Amino acid sequence: MIRKTRRKRTWFAAAVIASGSLFATALPANAETGVSATQIKLGITLPLTGAASPGYNKIGNAMNAYFKYVNDNGGVYGRKVTLIQKDDMYTPQLAIAKTNELILKDKVFALVGPLGTANFTATHKSVNLAKRGVPSLFLNTGFSGFANKKNYPTSFMILPSYAMEAKVVAQFLKESHAGKKLGLVYQNDEFGIDALGAFTAAGVKFDVSVPYTSGSQSAATAQTWVSQLAAGGAQVVVFFGVTSATAPLLAVAAGAKYAPQWILGSVGADPLTLQALGVPVAVLNGAQTPAGNPSPNDTSDEYVKQFQEINTKYNTGVAFDDYVLQGMNLGLMTVQALRAAGQNLTRRGLIRAMETKGSTFASVAYSPLGYSKTSNVGHTGYFMAVMGPTGDRKPLGGSVTLYTTDSGSGPVVKSTFKRPAMPAKGLPTNS
Amino acid sequence: MRKKIALFILLGWVLLIIGDRVDELRVYQGAQMAMYTIALASIVLLTGYSGQVSLGNGAMMAVGGYGAALTLNNLGSPIWFAFLMAVVCAALFGALLGTAAARLSGPYLAGTTLALAVGLPAIANQFKFLGGEPGLLFDVGFPPERFGEEFTQYKWFFWISTFIALIALFMTSNILSSRFGRTWRGIRGHSLAAELCGVHSSRMKILAFTVSSALAGLAGAVLAMNISLVAPGAYALSLSFALVTGAVLAGISSLPGVVFGAFILVAIPEIADALAGRLGDADKLNHYLPGLIVSILLILSVIYAPNGPGENLRKHLRKKPAR
Repeated sequence: MIRKTRRKRTWFAAAVIASGSLFATALPANAETGVSATQIKLGITLPLTGAASPGYNKIGNAMNAYFKYVNDNGGVYGRKVTLIQKDDMYTPQLAIAKTNELILKDKVFALVGPLGTANFTATHKSVNLAKRGVPSLFLNTGFSGFANKKNYPTSFMILPSYAMEAKVVAQFLKESHAGKKLGLVYQNDEFGIDALGAFTAAGVKFDVSVPYTSGSQSAATAQTWVSQLAAGGAQVVVFFGVTSATAPLLAVAAGAKYAPQWILGSVGADPLTLQALGVPVAVLNGAQTPAGNPSPNDTSDEYVKQFQEINTKYNTGVAFDDYVLQGMNLGLMTVQALRAAGQNLTRRGLIRAMETKGSTFASVAYSPLGYSKTSNVGHTGYFMAVMGPTGDRKPLGGSVTLYTTDSGSGPVVKSTFKRPAMPAKGLPTNS
Repeated sequence: MRKKIALFILLGWVLLIIGDRVDELRVYQGAQMAMYTIALASIVLLTGYSGQVSLGNGAMMAVGGYGAALTLNNLGSPIWFAFLMAVVCAALFGALLGTAAARLSGPYLAGTTLALAVGLPAIANQFKFLGGEPGLLFDVGFPPERFGEEFTQYKWFFWISTFIALIALFMTSNILSSRFGRTWRGIRGHSLAAELCGVHSSRMKILAFTVSSALAGLAGAVLAMNISLVAPGAYALSLSFALVTGAVLAGISSLPGVVFGAFILVAIPEIADALAGRLGDADKLNHYLPGLIVSILLILSVIYAPNGPGENLRKHLRKKPAR
């Protein structure tokens, strides 16, 4: 009898200890996914390989370089920021699979800079980012559909929308190229169609319009684009596509001695990437482009100078171009967002911080940020620039004339906005 | 028959309980495994039973996936109807293809179906209503609210996929043990002998192609549901090759083996990930390793276990009592 009671007691004690320890282990120090006392885990999907990878494959490493710089200088409230990059080859089905891995397997805290309109549309739906409450910061796409805060409550854009860009270009076409025959080459998905819609709304009619399917860009397809443009007699050609499509277009046109006035959309006008794709930079000479950022060669710009220093030390051997500049800036903005969310980092807190403080963040782009409780729009404007024989980008007319607008029917207006200064040593101290 | 029904119900019950216990990643992988199970069953039926070699199952899956997506998106139909249309579209396409394929055999048939696997998904790029390279969204909606807040979308996909896979396996196993299954085996064993026994060989081959395509189409629709998308890239050539590997590993004429084959196909990316992590430079390696593993497994299994490791194990177990 005594033995039985003792055994019972022992079992009872063991059960209490076991359940107690289970309970204790079930309560981590910080309950938020991807955040520990020492680390914040972030994720990004982007094309590291494949046809669309040139240029974009530098963004993740540039972000990582900036995060390493911040980590070496104390991190974000003592936590080190790590970024996990996954290759989606610019295809939606891989973007879905890789985002799933990031969220379910790597258990990242947030996505930063996910790239591609079709990819993010599919990923958002499939992985159910909104319902999971996963913050998706600084979408690297200008599709104006993502500005719908009701459908994308946890997502925040960074680029001005393609519609805004097209509206600024439309105004420029009317002012500077009136009466000329116009041509348009555009990527036949939300990216180009977004722009096309804005051109139509602005009353710009193209004499030749050439759509191309994403992924089909090659010298052979560019041949057909150029033939159509030349046959239509286009004197000014607007291009809305990625750099891997700009390259064959300009190369084939140069070979065919077809030299219209090029207006290259901001997405596909990086000189170094063109050069890497075997296109002489000289073909860019005189091309006009809507730009949001200073030229990566402009060392008089405080952001460019600081990012170049970081690139030299933490991204050794990588040429500093638009993509590296963009990646570093994504890093800078991410760190500000994480700091703004406070020491007790939660996904909800991060989204709230973006809504309430996001519009004040320092960013390399000249235009204001549109974040608020009712808006997830990032930068809101462009200035027109012209490219030199070495691919240098200089403001048209000598100085930056910034135009801001929205993705809807709002007017295109000249802006006097002054962008915030680069934080000292490129290390944000905001809260 | 009753025993079989009871077994499938029990299996379904066990799977539901497991689905409730494991984390979301495993639930998602479970849904993918169910999809592969159906796809492999279609290969086992076609190649293992009727003896026709097909390398184009990915294309059949694409037909089913696009059929389901167009039905769901344009007609706003319930999910079950979209899956039914996937089966119907793929079966019709399979019947057409089967008519041509019945005249071919061996490498000629493999070559034709391979060309189909290469070309068919890319056709989507040419037609706007098929969504081009980005494809079409395939949204079956959120799980019913009565399941509660905790019931995730992937669990919902897992339930649907598992339910469909169990029904598909049940029906396939019945067909294979019916006179059709026996006839197919007869044709595979000796086509001429089967014809001498009164079997209409080419008609039966077309039937096998049709049923197999219907199954592949169903798998294509399940894949579309799991990734909420139909796109040419989702049904790439690599999928067809992976399926052939899975079927060889399953034991090409073993229906229960398809579950093992499906398990291997789901496990390969995990293994690749772990290997890449150990070898360093995970980003680049991760990209090529799955393909490499699939190829190595295919070569190894053809050399050492041409009828699948399951068959080797069975032989080994059969030998043991004699000792």
